[in-house]
Amino acid sequence: MAFAYTLALVVTTIIDGGGSASILDALQWFALATVARGVTLIALDSLSSRAGARSKSELREALMAAVVSRGGGWVESRKSATLATLMGQGLDALDNYFGKYLPQLILTAIVTPVVVLVLYTQDLITGIAVTVTLPLIPLFMALVGWVTASVQQKQWDALQELAGGFLDTIEGLATLKIFGRHHRQRARIQELTSDYRTRTMKVLRVSFLSSFVLELAASLSVAVVAVSIGIRLIEEAIPLSLGLFVLILVPEVFLPLRAVGAQFHAASEGLEAATRVFDILDDAPRVTTAPDSAHSAPVSRLVLTGFQAKRAGLAVHEPLSFSVTRGEIVALSGPSGVGKSSIVDALLGFTDYDGEITCEDPARQVTRSTARDAVAWAPQSPSLGMGSIADNIALGDSSPDGALVREALDLAGASELEENTLLGVGGQGLSGGQAQRVSLARAYYRALRHDVPFLILDEVSSALDATTETVVMDGMRSMASRGHGVVLISHRDALVAVASTVVPVKALERVP
Amino acid sequence: MSTWAIASRAIPAPRKLMVSLLWGVAGTGSAVGLLATSAWLITRAAEAPPILYLTFAVVGVRAFALGRAVFRYLERVSSHNAAFHALETLRVWMFDRIAPLTPAGIRGVKRGGLLRALVADVDTLQDLPLRIIAPLGSALLVVVVALGAIASVTLPGSLLLAGVIALAVTVSVLIQRILGRASDREIAPGRADYANHIMDLIQRRRVLEAFGAAGAADEAARASAKRVLDSEARHALSLGVTPGLLMVFTGLAIATMAVVGAPLVGSQSITAPVFAVLVLVPLAIFESLAAVPAAMAAGRLVTASARRIEDSVPDSLPPEIPEEVTGAPRVELGELALDLVGVHASWPGSDSPALRPVTLSLVAGDRVAVSGPSGSGKSTLANVLVRFLEHTGDYTLCGVDVRSIPLDQVRETVVLCEQRPHLFSTSIRHNLSFAKPEGSDEDFLEVLDRVGLGSWVLSRGGLDASVGERGALVSGGQAQRIALARALLSEAPIIVFDEPTANVERALSDHLMRDLLHAGSAGSDRIVIVMSHTPVPEDLITQRLVLEPV
Repeated sequence: MAFAYTLALVVTTIIDGGGSASILDALQWFALATVARGVTLIALDSLSSRAGARSKSELREALMAAVVSRGGGWVESRKSATLATLMGQGLDALDNYFGKYLPQLILTAIVTPVVVLVLYTQDLITGIAVTVTLPLIPLFMALVGWVTASVQQKQWDALQELAGGFLDTIEGLATLKIFGRHHRQRARIQELTSDYRTRTMKVLRVSFLSSFVLELAASLSVAVVAVSIGIRLIEEAIPLSLGLFVLILVPEVFLPLRAVGAQFHAASEGLEAATRVFDILDDAPRVTTAPDSAHSAPVSRLVLTGFQAKRAGLAVHEPLSFSVTRGEIVALSGPSGVGKSSIVDALLGFTDYDGEITCEDPARQVTRSTARDAVAWAPQSPSLGMGSIADNIALGDSSPDGALVREALDLAGASELEENTLLGVGGQGLSGGQAQRVSLARAYYRALRHDVPFLILDEVSSALDATTETVVMDGMRSMASRGHGVVLISHRDALVAVASTVVPVKALERVP
Repeated sequence: MSTWAIASRAIPAPRKLMVSLLWGVAGTGSAVGLLATSAWLITRAAEAPPILYLTFAVVGVRAFALGRAVFRYLERVSSHNAAFHALETLRVWMFDRIAPLTPAGIRGVKRGGLLRALVADVDTLQDLPLRIIAPLGSALLVVVVALGAIASVTLPGSLLLAGVIALAVTVSVLIQRILGRASDREIAPGRADYANHIMDLIQRRRVLEAFGAAGAADEAARASAKRVLDSEARHALSLGVTPGLLMVFTGLAIATMAVVGAPLVGSQSITAPVFAVLVLVPLAIFESLAAVPAAMAAGRLVTASARRIEDSVPDSLPPEIPEEVTGAPRVELGELALDLVGVHASWPGSDSPALRPVTLSLVAGDRVAVSGPSGSGKSTLANVLVRFLEHTGDYTLCGVDVRSIPLDQVRETVVLCEQRPHLFSTSIRHNLSFAKPEGSDEDFLEVLDRVGLGSWVLSRGGLDASVGERGALVSGGQAQRIALARALLSEAPIIVFDEPTANVERALSDHLMRDLLHAGSAGSDRIVIVMSHTPVPEDLITQRLVLEPV
């Protein structure tokens, strides 16, 4: 406003033929106002984007806390892919929402009434003109939106399908070549894109209408104000400086509203992302049991009594009782899907169970809620991470023992692997069989490093050829002879034959 | 081919581009005109002339007001339309470039998601006409016209204003470069690093917890998130500084015009209304300059996309990829047989061979299991057999050197069931029909029955049922069965399976292997070749080939 006022002042002073001193004076004020306006713009932007960043990291922290408190069993459930995308790119959609849309909205709510008020005090007629046109904007936008909503939705669905068409063809190109069908695709892509264009343009022609309405209202009200001021100036009802001031100020009334309109898309995306965050935060209260604090007593036997692992509150297999002693190899056998991996999850505290877990040492028996700290585990999917092979094997060890890493690799039948080899996300860079053996070495390392009494090995040889499997079996026997109890889960008869006891896991007969 | 040459393919045909530029100039011009005429009108009115003198200006103000909105709308519509027209040729060009290279010649194709990123990059190139050429072009033209008009009143004023505009653009561009470039370079890798941390953190949560490593991983992810936030903040600053700067320069321009114009008004060489116009026009000009920083940011994205396309899709066929000769005459083939003598191959961009010399002789009815550890070249051999990959050594198909047979004819003879068969996001019928366009529903249902999907397709509601996006509703084993169904429909006498059980649950894989081999060979003298790291039942094969690691 100062900008507009001083600008008007400069112009009128000069036109009125004021002395150079008064011109200079006016120019000084104008310069001051300009710089102040520039600095405020920068400060405002920096403040709001910082606020946006803060909101983003707060939400991120909340998701992180949810991950920590709900534990691995929940995190790795079906939601994991959604959760990963949401914590990654999903939250970036909030940048524009918190950083641009909300501040702009607040700014509009404060600035617009103030500017209108000033217009009223300066020039009643302009004030009235603006008050009449301003509400027309949301009204017309709502009208445009209401008329076109159903058409847009229909078009939108068709568009989504067409948008994916090019990608689908390119991804399937190898398959099309195999069947000699790639020759006709060139014309098809042209046709597809042409159709895509026609439909998108239909949608856009309507979408652009809303900004057209904004633009029209803004420029027409400038025109109306300019003409009305002009006529009143002729009648000498108002001074020129006021006329110019009002003329420069009028577009400012519409500016924030137009900016909000420009950010509207960001708003809907941001809201959607935020909704998904809260959905996840509200989802599934923690169901898993926390692990006991580290147990120092030397456990010699792990006993499961009437044990029944549960998924989503339902038992998955017949109750089961068995024990493992140090040095012994026990195999769990049963058809796929019977719940062998659920038993492992329950033992480690990732899912609920009925029954009892007891750890025995030579002196006493202790009932535990999980056996996590007494177990070194090699899961069915190797689950390796970024970093070197050695980093992966010494996972959770703050001062890794290099010699032991090598020994663990040898025991796992992975002597050919270099411990310094770097792996990508998800252990990229290794074949399936190699990854399995690194995961096995990771379990061995933990068992040897902290004298963890038991090993749970879940399908660790499914991707191995027969020769390698023999080496792996030798390593397993060697771990048992060093005094570790091994619980083995495998489909391979050869591997199960290593076990001294085989525990059958039976599916639960469901009453129809 | 340079990055620019790739990006420039997104530029629409000159005529379409001119039309949208014209609307753009008319729109921006009206904005300048609206401010100029209304300023003139008011100052002139202050001199209290007869109202008749003002009618022209009153009409002008209203016309420009309407024009600004209407022309902007037309500009938006026509520039988008032009950009989409350009997308048509751009996509066809991309297809022409990718098609001969697929699948073996696209760099990094073994990494998932590459094609998806490539397609997204092609779409990003559209920003070149939309967000760069159109706004910059119309802003430039309007500035030139406005400066010309001012020059007719005061030449030094026009030159000075030009100087201020040039200075404003240079300074804001430089600031963007210095602040923006560095953070741009950090943001993308930083986000990727953070995404990796998150993947690690979430997808193997149980392992991290079981090994007591969850806390450390959480901390690492937090630190990575913090780094990204910092570079994003710097990026936001680089964007946020520009509007403020432009504001200050607007002020400078106005002040300059006031100082230049003041003596002229004093000496009566220009009238007061003209002076008001001179002083206020920079306000509108600078509004159109706001497009410059946005165009710069878009420019960086477009360049990055064009560079990625250049890097991953070479514009010439590497020697490792067999070239397709269009219209090559078909060759008379002898009795069904496939012979390899000392055949080996390497992938484009790699110096070392991916396969040790293979010798193999197969006649009608042979079924061979090719085994060997990962990295011994099973997939390489599969790619050689269907001529996706060039080979050294002798490969004879039905008594004819395979190099003298047109590629299409080779693939009519040898059909590959890929490790990850692509399923198009449509119906089951469409996913079968391209293998046999003239096939009837009975043909399709019969072949589905043979591969063990008969009851499945009925339970899904028939051939029109969707397979989901990229086959999301289909399991790994079902996808393999559909791939085999296609192969059977194509009636090629040789079927190659590349690791058919790789994406199938271990417990089901023996069953699937048995079904595939059975259905693939039943009732015919087909040659079946199975690449697999898991054992293949002895009773279903006639030969065995073990590949040694390279």
